[in-house]
Amino acid sequence: MRLQSKLALFSAASKILILLLLVLGLPILVNKVALLNADERLMQKEERMYQIIEEQGIESFITSETGAYGSYNLFKEEFISLEEISSSKVVNSIENSLRKVDNQVVNYRVLSSTFDLGEKRYLLEIGRSLATIHNNSKTLQAYALYFLAAVVLLTVFSDLAFSKILLRPLTLIVKRLQRVEHPSTFTPKKLQTSTDDFLYLNNTINAMMGQIQEAFQKEKEFIGNVSHELLTPVSILQTRLENLLADPDTPESMLEKLVDNLRTLHRLKNIIQALLLISRIENEQYLRNETVDLTQLAEEVAEEIKERAEAREVNLHVEITGDYTLTKANQSLLFTMLFNVVNNAIKYNKPEGSICIKGQPHGKDYEIAVKDTGVGIKEEQLPHIFSRFKRLHAPDGESHGLGLTIVKTIATFHGIDLSVESVPSEGTTFRFLFPRQA
Amino acid sequence: MHILIVEDETSLATELMHFLAQEHYICDWASNGREASEKIAVNRYDFILLDLGLPDYEGMDLLKEIKEIDHDPAIIILTARGALEDRIKGLGLGADDYLPKPFSLLELQARMQAVLRRKFKLKSSSVAFHGFEIDSSARRVTFGSQEIVLTKKEFDILHYLLLHKNRILTRLQLTEHIWGNILEDDYDSNYIDVHIKNLRKKISAHTTTDWLETVRGVGYRLTV
Repeated sequence: MRLQSKLALFSAASKILILLLLVLGLPILVNKVALLNADERLMQKEERMYQIIEEQGIESFITSETGAYGSYNLFKEEFISLEEISSSKVVNSIENSLRKVDNQVVNYRVLSSTFDLGEKRYLLEIGRSLATIHNNSKTLQAYALYFLAAVVLLTVFSDLAFSKILLRPLTLIVKRLQRVEHPSTFTPKKLQTSTDDFLYLNNTINAMMGQIQEAFQKEKEFIGNVSHELLTPVSILQTRLENLLADPDTPESMLEKLVDNLRTLHRLKNIIQALLLISRIENEQYLRNETVDLTQLAEEVAEEIKERAEAREVNLHVEITGDYTLTKANQSLLFTMLFNVVNNAIKYNKPEGSICIKGQPHGKDYEIAVKDTGVGIKEEQLPHIFSRFKRLHAPDGESHGLGLTIVKTIATFHGIDLSVESVPSEGTTFRFLFPRQA
Repeated sequence: MHILIVEDETSLATELMHFLAQEHYICDWASNGREASEKIAVNRYDFILLDLGLPDYEGMDLLKEIKEIDHDPAIIILTARGALEDRIKGLGLGADDYLPKPFSLLELQARMQAVLRRKFKLKSSSVAFHGFEIDSSARRVTFGSQEIVLTKKEFDILHYLLLHKNRILTRLQLTEHIWGNILEDDYDSNYIDVHIKNLRKKISAHTTTDWLETVRGVGYRLTV
């Protein structure tokens, strides 16, 4: 998952968590506030009542006939009562209590307070129905929730946008790296950002890629030099031996020895060239700019090699189903790869044996299998067959053991998955799995 | 045919000149770029064998110089560096062929013949011997009015033997000529024997094959 998505998810999740906590905690909080608010208002009213009593006298409320005063508003949301009491108890409290009003029991928040006037003691009670208080608090809660939800949504989006802007340099670095198929095609670029971490990352990548490129370049020069230094003397020896072979003055008894020398020299040349080929492929000196039709490739290899199969009395046939074209490939390397495998299949086959080059779609990929009825490879040798200088079969003095290493190197160069199965004395199958290409 | 060999390795140049002189070419040798540059300015060559790895000169620059002179000699690049770009660049700059070192002298001669035929149309593509006619561009062999149908490899072997007539060709030289472009694990001379056997069989239906000799322990020779 991308960092940006992770950040966005995290931000959204944390905000939702906060929202949930608020939804759970808000009613308690709001109720508490509403209650405090109601108490405050009750006390203000108490204050005003005292003022009125002081200005107008207690008589305007209580006469000897009535003995008490009470007032409700229409919906019984509030009441004020004033009465004379005989108890000497001093009360000064705000409590919830149930009151019966017109045969209806209503839960009120009631402020009770006693005061003395003249010789008498009065009890003042001011109440406000709890339902009204809660009603108010519900509205408050609803508005608060809408507001919070809006804030959360807004911050989630602003976080998204911000993280996108913040992470843009990182996205750029990743994109640049994705475009690089091989370190040698990388071009260092400066990064426009004020974030030090990204600058550091970019500079480090540039520096390291530079080192890799330098190493590749050095290896390339080394390969060139080795190639020149080793192949020049071989070249001199070969021409000298060939001239000697053609010289009429060379005694006939010497000819066979010269041929032997030429063979040994050929072996040396072959080893050098095989090693150079492997190094050059690994050093990315070959181009992958051709489109190769696998049916055609298999047929070309079969055509080139069929006379060898005939000479060994081995039956070679090609079975290709489906069309498959490999883009970004190197035709001559692929030819060498398949040729070597089929050539081995001929070399290590039994008389009257057979070889099948079978191509077929394999899921979304394509597989070419070279199956022979040869001597097979022992199980303990299988893991080593692609290693350099491993000769699988009895040393015949000529093979340098690099053939399958070349095959493997070319396969890797093209992203081909190469596997091998073998049953001793029954045969071997090499499978090339070509990746599907867009 | 006047040839300039541009090669800094004295031993190799000596062997090349020895071989080419026997093939009736007139050879001149330049051991470095400066000398080569002077020689091509003064003399007129039909063919230049150019080693790219010269001590004092960038081989490609020399190639450009050669292409600038008014007559148009055939050029074969000989190099031991073998980098892929060299090949593409060299052919792009107008070289006629490219032969990586080490090469067989016989292969060099075959390539030179091919270049000459292509470039100067000097030689008819048809050669007659022992009543046969072998046409290298049509890849056809006829005996009298009858065509002898050969496989690609059989034709290549016969043509190569004829090109180097009266000379012993080892199995290795023949193998390198017909399979040389493929780098393989080892070489098996038996395949050449099988091809020669089949070739003899096809020819003996028309005439004797004693001109296609086996030289025991060495190779084969076509005598004319």
